[in-house]
Amino acid sequence: MLPENVYKELEDILGAENVTQEPAILDSYAWQPALNLLKDAWVPRPEAVVLPQTTAEVQAIVQLCNRAGIKCKAFSTGWASYSACGSEGVIQIDLRRMNRIIEIDEKNMIAVIEPYVCGSQLQAECMKRGLNCHIIGAGPNCSPLASLTSGWGYGWTGLYTSYSNRNPLAVEWVLPNGELLQMGSLGSGCGWINGDGPGPSLRGVMRGWGGAQGGLGVFTKCAVKLYPWPGEEGAPKGMRGMMLDLDMETPKLHKLYYIYSPSYAMYAEFAHRIANSEIGYIHCKLTTGGFMSVLMPRAIKKIMKSKAIRAAAKALQHCTSIALACHSEREFVYQEEVLRKIVEETDSFIFDWSKLAPRLHDTLLWLFHRSIPPAMIFRVGGNFLTSFGANEMYDMCVLGCEAGEQLKRPYIDKGIFIEDTGDNTWGGIYEGSSGWGHIEECAMYDLRTSRNPEARFDYLDETVKVVQEKTLGFSLASVGGDSYKYLGPLMYNYHLWQSKIKSAFDPNYASDASFYIPPYEEVVKIMEQEDKGRMFGATRSES
Amino acid sequence: MSHTQLESMRSDYEGCSRCSCCKWIPHAQIMSWRYAKSCPSVDRYNFHAYSASGKLNMALSIIDKRSQLNDAVASVIYRCQLCGACQVSCQNYRDDIDHCDSFHVMRSTCVQEGFVLPEHLEIIESMKREDNTMGMPKAQRSDWAAGLDIPDINTQKVDVLFHAGCRYSYDEGLLDTVRKWATFLKKAGINIGIAGRDEACCGGRAYEIGYQGEMKKYADDMASRVKASGAHTLVTPCSDCYYTFKYLYPKNSLGLTVKVLHTTELTDGLLRQGIIRLKSSEPMMVTYHDPCHLGRRGESYKSGWSGDVKLMRPVQFKQTGREGIFDEPRNLIKAVGGVELREMERIREYSWCCGAGGGVLEAEPDFAVWTARDRIDEAMATGAEAIVTACPWCEHLFAEAIKEMGVTMKVLDVVDLLDMGLGGE
Amino acid sequence: MAKYPELENIFGSERVETGKRALSEFAHDQSFVAGKTPCCVVKPKDTEEILALVRLANEQRLSLIPCSSKPPRFRADTVPSVANAVMVDLSGMDRIVRIDARAKVAMIEPGVTFDQLQNAAHAQGLRVVMPLLPRKTKSVLGAYLEREPNTIPKYHWDMSDPLCCIEIVFGAGEIFRTGSAAGPGTLEQQWASKQAQKSPMGPNQTDFLKLVHGSQGTMGIVSWSTVKLELNPTVQESYLVGMASLDELLGFTYAIVKSRYTDEVLILNKLDLACLYAQSPSEITKLAGKLPEWILMYSIAGYRDLPEKRVQYLKLDIQDQAAKMGIDPVQNLASVSAVRVAELLTHASQDPYWKLRLKGACEDIFFITTLDRSPEFVAAVNEEARRAGPDAFQIGVYIQPIQQGRNVHMEFNLMYPSDDAATVKKVKALHKALSKRCMDMGGFFNRPYGPWADMVYKRCPDTVSALNKVKSIFDPNRVMNPGKLCYE
Repeated sequence: MLPENVYKELEDILGAENVTQEPAILDSYAWQPALNLLKDAWVPRPEAVVLPQTTAEVQAIVQLCNRAGIKCKAFSTGWASYSACGSEGVIQIDLRRMNRIIEIDEKNMIAVIEPYVCGSQLQAECMKRGLNCHIIGAGPNCSPLASLTSGWGYGWTGLYTSYSNRNPLAVEWVLPNGELLQMGSLGSGCGWINGDGPGPSLRGVMRGWGGAQGGLGVFTKCAVKLYPWPGEEGAPKGMRGMMLDLDMETPKLHKLYYIYSPSYAMYAEFAHRIANSEIGYIHCKLTTGGFMSVLMPRAIKKIMKSKAIRAAAKALQHCTSIALACHSEREFVYQEEVLRKIVEETDSFIFDWSKLAPRLHDTLLWLFHRSIPPAMIFRVGGNFLTSFGANEMYDMCVLGCEAGEQLKRPYIDKGIFIEDTGDNTWGGIYEGSSGWGHIEECAMYDLRTSRNPEARFDYLDETVKVVQEKTLGFSLASVGGDSYKYLGPLMYNYHLWQSKIKSAFDPNYASDASFYIPPYEEVVKIMEQEDKGRMFGATRSES
Repeated sequence: MSHTQLESMRSDYEGCSRCSCCKWIPHAQIMSWRYAKSCPSVDRYNFHAYSASGKLNMALSIIDKRSQLNDAVASVIYRCQLCGACQVSCQNYRDDIDHCDSFHVMRSTCVQEGFVLPEHLEIIESMKREDNTMGMPKAQRSDWAAGLDIPDINTQKVDVLFHAGCRYSYDEGLLDTVRKWATFLKKAGINIGIAGRDEACCGGRAYEIGYQGEMKKYADDMASRVKASGAHTLVTPCSDCYYTFKYLYPKNSLGLTVKVLHTTELTDGLLRQGIIRLKSSEPMMVTYHDPCHLGRRGESYKSGWSGDVKLMRPVQFKQTGREGIFDEPRNLIKAVGGVELREMERIREYSWCCGAGGGVLEAEPDFAVWTARDRIDEAMATGAEAIVTACPWCEHLFAEAIKEMGVTMKVLDVVDLLDMGLGGE
Repeated sequence: MAKYPELENIFGSERVETGKRALSEFAHDQSFVAGKTPCCVVKPKDTEEILALVRLANEQRLSLIPCSSKPPRFRADTVPSVANAVMVDLSGMDRIVRIDARAKVAMIEPGVTFDQLQNAAHAQGLRVVMPLLPRKTKSVLGAYLEREPNTIPKYHWDMSDPLCCIEIVFGAGEIFRTGSAAGPGTLEQQWASKQAQKSPMGPNQTDFLKLVHGSQGTMGIVSWSTVKLELNPTVQESYLVGMASLDELLGFTYAIVKSRYTDEVLILNKLDLACLYAQSPSEITKLAGKLPEWILMYSIAGYRDLPEKRVQYLKLDIQDQAAKMGIDPVQNLASVSAVRVAELLTHASQDPYWKLRLKGACEDIFFITTLDRSPEFVAAVNEEARRAGPDAFQIGVYIQPIQQGRNVHMEFNLMYPSDDAATVKKVKALHKALSKRCMDMGGFFNRPYGPWADMVYKRCPDTVSALNKVKSIFDPNRVMNPGKLCYE
């Protein structure tokens, strides 16, 4: 329980109806099974939950926490355990009431949003204006602000809409000490148009490849880049039905294809050629195994007993989903011709959904644009984890696919993970011609029925080792948390620099840094210990 | 305290992955910032606990002995219209959580442990005293039918038993609507009858506010009445009753042996068979509100599967809400010449609740009206001059909301348009 | 006897210069900022030497000023603000370490210049994403680190592009590598697993590159970087659109930039175009007299897959767009050939540097805004210039869409004769007045050189506070380029 005077002060700031420390209500913030890498399904219960509506209120809360020696953690759409409190005694700042789209500058392709705008909402408003936004793979139920300022950020449309780290412009930020920082052009009174400068860019403090996951204060507004949504029609019209039986009018010059390549080498070559040709709007690896599991969660185990089906699934695993979205008929004709040329030259074959199953084509296209399918991974077991997925040249990313499949197979055979043919990879190339991207390897499991749920931590440990042994970059499993203890010394002591940033910006350690990094002195002490604990699977008391 | 009933749904609670999709209409359908939300409870009260996910989390917390059921928790549980929008959204992605069933269990647990709301107690006492939820004399139950010359099933057998429902029986503001329905069906040649003052509550409201045992009495009573009437079909203009007959009764092994139809369903059948023909009315632009209990919750209970592991439950047993009544009212509206139907954004399975259900109208009238106001805003955004629906609870609450908002919008039942289409004849 | 024995231990006597001429070369540049004389110039050849230097600087509280480009320099960022600084001349570290043609990445040292890299890139069918005719001596790394805008906005995904990763010795005396270059694994191991040090993010939860980007050498000394290259077009067409008013170009510019149809795309006023196209003052003046007031230049290109077809559809689509807007793109305007302009854009400026051709000297004012506001700024600048009275200076204007069209880099080139003291004084005052006016109007001066630093940072005390925290981490003893930006 919070000290009475602190609770009272919170009520004075926010109104009594916007503060609670009722245990059951607090526990609705402590159930975070998704991407939970602790032993316990329940994560630490917040000390209280507060609901501010304005930046001034957020500042007042954070300043109070600094004075009272209590930690706080920001929370918006809050999916995945990173959003939860990482230890006892933390006030969860639920930003649900800060849910406005402040402005959309159509001409200059910029929107300004608050934390509780979800991806669908922003995309819907963008499409009315012939624009689009970046929606991450986790889904349109997630907050773009949270992803851009504090999370990861891959998305289906990364080929066209980049990656979350690269999407913020100016940001309004309540620092861990309660001061307000208006980053970029905003701080200079020049509006929201640019996030870098004057001089060095403080976006570098805000986040790196991953974000601080609430460990560096609260982001209250963010300007985000918008992108063209080619065509006159705006969002698909006349939508009827749900999920796989959607019926709608897709914009005319948008089309989805599946490309099956004969090997990972050719799959990577196909991606390389797409990048160089500068065509396409969506590029993403499709996982045959994952897709089959999601569509047939009950039957997959039986089906996979058939060697023939397994062989077929394996043969079809080098699959790219690629969508075109063109400004004109001429552009469409060109892009499709180039696509077919590349398909032929990479010994692949093209599955033109629009001809084979038009209604399913429209459905899949829309679901991909709105990033809906990834959430279906929960259908299979209620839980999943992810690894590999470093951000680099796609030729390297593909090496991770093969390694991941081999590593995961024994865990599936032992019943720790759910059958997905071993291939449950996802990711594509980003930023047009750049040719870099990611491919992550997912593993599905059900905490309710898994024979040995804790074995999943062994798997993650192994993935980090394999990534290191084969020099496959800095994997998704290594962002935040305790991986710094092992990887930091191998990587120019990034952990020490990062912890110094933490100390400098959070002198009173008021921001819960469980998924970021502790302050410098604490990190130094931890690094001096011989036994630093395991990377994954800590209990709450260890975490 | 042991919570055996709560414990029975543990797997549902633990299945929640905390994605918050239960707070939004299905994401594929979101077409604007304004009309993206689906859950009135969390939209109004904001703490995650008020959402479907949050309620599941709280239940799990209680059975894991991390917290206790108390007034504050019960208040969260009761501030929910049980509209089922959360279930529709969640079940786009997964198959193993039955939200409304979980909430029923939570409410039942609240009642068993003495966490009851006085307003709900009043409903139950009214039902016990007068066989209706409205606190009105049983003797006045059939006053609405005065002068309509509708056969009384106590004196003659009929083909179709017309069950008005509590609200239609007693709400003066809706008198016109129920009379029109009965008259319309009679004129269409349907051999309908009513139970008169012997008609009693379906019991659904009792179930929904946690008094599950109470519903059984009324279900048994209903079954007897249906049998006595000789009817092969039970028809009702009340969406709540419809849902009770189609879902709650069979779920609790209290199924009726006759076909159950909503008046719009029956009438749509007549239209398709050419038995009724509708003419043009004055030009009018309308929008249609899908009542929760006719639409997504009006889907028949899918019996035939049992087991502990819902992940293994075949999809055909999933209550997705898609098989509710959505097209029939629309067909009727469109059949009336001169009437233009403009759809809102949140429609069909993902319609926004009017706010009345789950005992909220009675216990939290402010919250109920707040919810209705959001719907009226959405209706007005279409440019429609009237909001048309097929449920007395929706109609009652919309009228109240419009009055409070001081805006101009008509509230019509589908039968009002049919009446116009028949030229008032 | 060695004047600076510890430095000579690191660099050898031949790479520690103390001669007056060498020192005075660094004491000032072409800007109005008067600098202090450094004590010496050192010329490192590798990272180890840089590391030893920075550690020595920390021990002995030396001031270090890194400088990658040979003169003439313009921005005052390498002009010492303190006396007796050590100039770290990196121009001799000029290796192109590696070009990965498949990944389209070059790893370069600080002294590599644009033409040097462009020639190497062309040899592999690639090209450098160029700023607008940089001077011959301009360091590629220096330009990209300082956010010089480039001329192909479709490739400008973020402000740090086309920079990828860097190796830096932080002012604190530690080597660091940013982005995917940080590993794990050595560079050789990374190359073996097909990495190319192309991802600029991280490592982990801090973007270290962003803290160095735009820092004017105040965070550390960069020893190499990787930079993105792009495919060299195999087919290209270029066009010019001339208009009397800037407003008339905006809609069309928005349309072609947003669609990512164009490669190079930029707007110049007639003076700037004449300066970069012609050579002598008389030729420039004559050409400027023939040109319309404002000129949009753009190119369309095809690469390796069906390049002619690409150019064809782009051309027709743009023609349709132009027709709708009453725009007439041409390949020759007055005597300016669009093809020739495109050629010029692929290389550094021939001597004399184009900005100096007309009057001999030039002082720039630049900031970031949005394209729709550019006419306002032009009007304001013209008004201030008129207020300053007729004189020997002239103002060129360069508008460069960046960040795929979300912003523009807006640049005013004040060209003046440096041998006329009165004019110099007037231009200096005008520069200050214009800077203030544009700042007051909301121009975002994200590169606060010289006198801009005080003006800019007064407006954002929260940013100053945060930057000082960053500085205290990466250069706690303030050895790196003291007196720049906003550090206490």
